[in-house]
Amino acid sequence: MHSLVKAAAIAGFVLFGGFFCVVTWKLLTGEISLSYLLDGDVRDSGSSTGFTTDASAGRTQTLLVTISVAGYYLLQVIHNPKQLPSISPWMVGVLGGSQALYLGEKVQAMLPGRMGDFFK
Amino acid sequence: MKNPEFVASVVLAIGTAFVIAVFFRNEDPMTKVKLAIAYAGLIMLFLFGFLILAAIASGKIDISQLLEEKGADAANGGASMGRFQLLIFTFVIGLSFFLVVLYKNDMPNIPTNVLALLGVSATTYGVGKGIQATAQDNKENGDGGGNGGNAGAGGAPRAGGD
Repeated sequence: MHSLVKAAAIAGFVLFGGFFCVVTWKLLTGEISLSYLLDGDVRDSGSSTGFTTDASAGRTQTLLVTISVAGYYLLQVIHNPKQLPSISPWMVGVLGGSQALYLGEKVQAMLPGRMGDFFK
Repeated sequence: MKNPEFVASVVLAIGTAFVIAVFFRNEDPMTKVKLAIAYAGLIMLFLFGFLILAAIASGKIDISQLLEEKGADAANGGASMGRFQLLIFTFVIGLSFFLVVLYKNDMPNIPTNVLALLGVSATTYGVGKGIQATAQDNKENGDGGGNGGNAGAGGAPRAGGD
């Protein structure tokens, strides 16, 4: 049975590592585009499409918080790979708050009338 | 035959099951059956996964728009923050899970907060799509957004999805 476990570990490593490498490679070479990742849609009555784009603080802070939380979690696993580490509730709260800010900015920028004014 | 690779994978897995059953001569029949099924399942899963991986790597399965999403003006859009975030968390938690299984040789317990982490990310993606759809509906109904009916008439380049 031991060789079966070893074979499963190797298969998992090859597949997971392969998917990770392929996606990372395509991100690095630009085949998967990251253009406009930090730009958000904004309602603009002057534009022919009704929307225009602008740099978004909400997206930027979401990206920073996401990378911080993901990096922290990965470090925890590397330090103690015997169990999946739990995340402190305040960190989940920070992530939730960051997402709420991002969504609030999105609503304010895109929805007209009372919904948008609510977040102003 | 449309997908001979998949048929070949299944045939190879069944062949492996027979070889395993013959190879472990000294085992009792029940163990033999268990081992044969386990190895066959492992090989089939691996080959299916590898075929998909090879197709993605060669471009046969196109993932170039993995992070892209239509924008508020329904044009082809840029990268979506929600999708990017989901991708990062999926890889981090997937990698962590794999590492723990490797060290522990057992399925680990998944803490509730980790599920909450993925849940927050997925919820943001879903709510973002909802906001975007509402904005598009409002625009189509002429509810603000100026002269939205002239879409495509040389407007500003659009930004990412949600």
